[in-house]
Amino acid sequence: MARNLTTIAVLSGLILVMVVATNLLGVRLFDRLAINLCISLVLVLGLQVFMGNSGILSFAHIGFMGIGAYTTAVLTIPVRMKGMSLPDLYPIVAGIELSPYVAILVGGLTAAAVAAVVSYPLMRLSDAAAVITSFALLVVLHTVMTHWSEVTNGPRTLFGLPRATDLNLAAGTAILAIVAAVAFKESRAGLLLRSSRDDEVAAGAMGAHIPRLRWQAFILSALFAGIGGALWGHFITSFSPKAFFLKETFVILGMLVIGGASTVTGAVFGAIIVTVTFESLRALEAGINQAKIFSEQVIGLTEIVLALAMIVVLVLRPGGLFATQEIGALLWRRARKKEDR
Amino acid sequence: MSFFLQFMIDVLSLGGAYALMALGLVIVYGILRLVNFAYGELIMVAGYTMYLTSGSGLPWLVMAAVAVLMAIMAGIATDYIAFRPVRAKSVTAVLITSFAFSTLLQNAALLFISPRPRNVPLPEIFSETVQFAGVITPARNLITIATAVVMLGLFSWLMRHTVLGIAMRAAATNFTMARMLGVPANLIISSAFAISGLLAGVVSMLWIGRVGAVVPGVGLEPLLIAFIATVIGGMRSLQGAVLGGFLLAFMDITLNFTLPQDLLKFRDAFTFSLVILILLWRPQGLIRGPASGQRT
Amino acid sequence: MLEIAGLQVAYGAIRAVRDVSLTLAEGELVTLLGANGAGKSSTLMCIAGALPAAAGAIRLEGQDVTAARPEVMARRGVATVPETRDVFPDLTVDENLQLGAYTRRNDTKGVAEDRTRMFGMFPVLAERSSQPAGTLSGGEQQMLVIARAMMSRPRILLLDEPSLGLAPTIVNRIFEMIATLKGSGLTILLVEQNASKALEVADRAYVMRLGKIEAEGTAAEIAAATDLKALYLAG
Repeated sequence: MARNLTTIAVLSGLILVMVVATNLLGVRLFDRLAINLCISLVLVLGLQVFMGNSGILSFAHIGFMGIGAYTTAVLTIPVRMKGMSLPDLYPIVAGIELSPYVAILVGGLTAAAVAAVVSYPLMRLSDAAAVITSFALLVVLHTVMTHWSEVTNGPRTLFGLPRATDLNLAAGTAILAIVAAVAFKESRAGLLLRSSRDDEVAAGAMGAHIPRLRWQAFILSALFAGIGGALWGHFITSFSPKAFFLKETFVILGMLVIGGASTVTGAVFGAIIVTVTFESLRALEAGINQAKIFSEQVIGLTEIVLALAMIVVLVLRPGGLFATQEIGALLWRRARKKEDR
Repeated sequence: MSFFLQFMIDVLSLGGAYALMALGLVIVYGILRLVNFAYGELIMVAGYTMYLTSGSGLPWLVMAAVAVLMAIMAGIATDYIAFRPVRAKSVTAVLITSFAFSTLLQNAALLFISPRPRNVPLPEIFSETVQFAGVITPARNLITIATAVVMLGLFSWLMRHTVLGIAMRAAATNFTMARMLGVPANLIISSAFAISGLLAGVVSMLWIGRVGAVVPGVGLEPLLIAFIATVIGGMRSLQGAVLGGFLLAFMDITLNFTLPQDLLKFRDAFTFSLVILILLWRPQGLIRGPASGQRT
Repeated sequence: MLEIAGLQVAYGAIRAVRDVSLTLAEGELVTLLGANGAGKSSTLMCIAGALPAAAGAIRLEGQDVTAARPEVMARRGVATVPETRDVFPDLTVDENLQLGAYTRRNDTKGVAEDRTRMFGMFPVLAERSSQPAGTLSGGEQQMLVIARAMMSRPRILLLDEPSLGLAPTIVNRIFEMIATLKGSGLTILLVEQNASKALEVADRAYVMRLGKIEAEGTAAEIAAATDLKALYLAG
């Protein structure tokens, strides 16, 4: 218990330090970076809740992020702007204008509800069949987002979301996500699910209904994704369905793999490391492009670096940086070693 | 009658291309249980090779041969970079490295070539039309059918009548037993990736030949098609992959004719929901793969 | 010819083979007896290279092959017939045999001769040569895997429970065949639960229990040992 609290304290502490430092510095760029990081954290922790505990790779995660973002968009875009942003919106919802804070929550719940409905039968699949179905689910969600013009403005950019996500909100949500991820991991459901990852038969023999446990994890994971997506929507204020497809999936997956999928600590550190590297490389790319060193725009460098990093990590350290132990457990062990001396 | 003939030509040409795509994916999956996400990028590699050699003045067929060769090399590179180093680790690790390798290749194309479409050279005949029995059809469709027939024949011959082919079929059911007979694992794995690259390269010529240009994301659609076709046909059966390709083409073209316009745009949602349903209902696909499902 | 010292095999934390040392001289038929779960099959698969050794050494003609991959062992003349019988069910009988000769695939003439010889030895395989191996009966599949192993002209044959799940008449035929193979000078390591049958054909025997060698001796000595049954029951 003390170890888990230490883990939560250390990881939340990191975020708080970042918030304070950003506020003290007062640089807009860092503010943006910190918000981005907190939103990524929510998304990565969501993926960790499912993937880390069940051991099953899920591609659908970002689809649920999209559901959260579009739900909150429909609910919060000011009524007078809806005619422009969503010209074909159904009249029943056209008059709604909720507070973004409520709508973000509704976005998360909608994503969780959709996950609950569609995913139950999928949870008994494992290995390749599970991966392909989750991939297929991502494509289905993406196709619906791209073509359901009434609600999403189709493949075009949807604009007009109020800018409601500030650093405090994003950081607060990220801390809640850390607490929830640790709590789920250490709950009975989390423990059984993790034992099923190593030995499905044995966990089944212990009385665990594995598909149901996976289902619970998947719903929780989609809730995180939906909230993360909604937060992001109120941060960026305009987006198109392209934002919720393979590229974003790759980045979030990269964070989790590099940090270590099995631990909450890994998810947090992965998100931090990848975000910082990404933003630095983006800045480098922008710098090169501005200086017009090459005739063509430089793009794709960041993704190449991330892809290489993922491969290298999986080859050299298959479990990621934090493969099995949370930071709390590691610190306690170190403390005990010192006492022994 | 001529409608029927037109319909058949459409289904067979699209189905031929789909079948080759599916076969390239399933040859690797059947033996290694690896869903190779970088498969679409092999098609991309062949496309860009065409673009890069277009100024060389070589005959089209020579350029195409070089492009196919590059796809084969890229396939083998997938083995060495994304598969072999993590092969002994977990299924998930292999999936992620193949996904990472796919992103790597795509972004390399973005970075070193361009995000914008690049024209690839096409032989004259690709843009001609043929008229017979009251049907007007692009010559390209007939070339696709012919190529598919030749490739499927060649593939079938390779798998049935060469020691390597027989060994690959054996490895698909029981890799360890095949190794205990002296079949080197690495040879089988590299061959699977090379054949996958060969099929991707040939498909690339046909697929990119439809639009005459290549973009970094060109491989996504073939990858998705191959996914659906292999799931329909059974993830582990070579014949199933071919049948799945033709069935999918039949479905696509029928939907094109019958579905109203505002539902047609959701076609991918329908086909992928179908994929999910098939996997739930019959995880082994419509056609069962090799009988003993032993894993490697 | 084959020498195993202090071999251990582990599946995760479970050690299936704790300490196995045995030798196999040229032309000898040695049988490894023991109850179900004693670690016999794991020992055999480890020799074949299909399972990694956790400790100990395997030497083939004086050379260390402890870490050799299965394909390397096959190339060095060790043919394995696993307990699970493992025909390739979708391949025809003929294709199964052809793969058996993989290590000498360039010797077309020799392979063709051996194929004829195997069909002579097992006429039923000749009748079904173009059928998928999966359609064969259990006994026929057992004959096929032995024939397939022989196609590589091995110097050592590792045979795992050839009598498992077969009717008594077929078991008798299989053991007759094993005796014939031994007569031709082949070195054989035979893993069996059917101790009386195995001891009839073997020169020497080892008895395994809970991952260790409990007893060894000539076939006659082991057959005469009174505690043989007890060993089994306790295993």
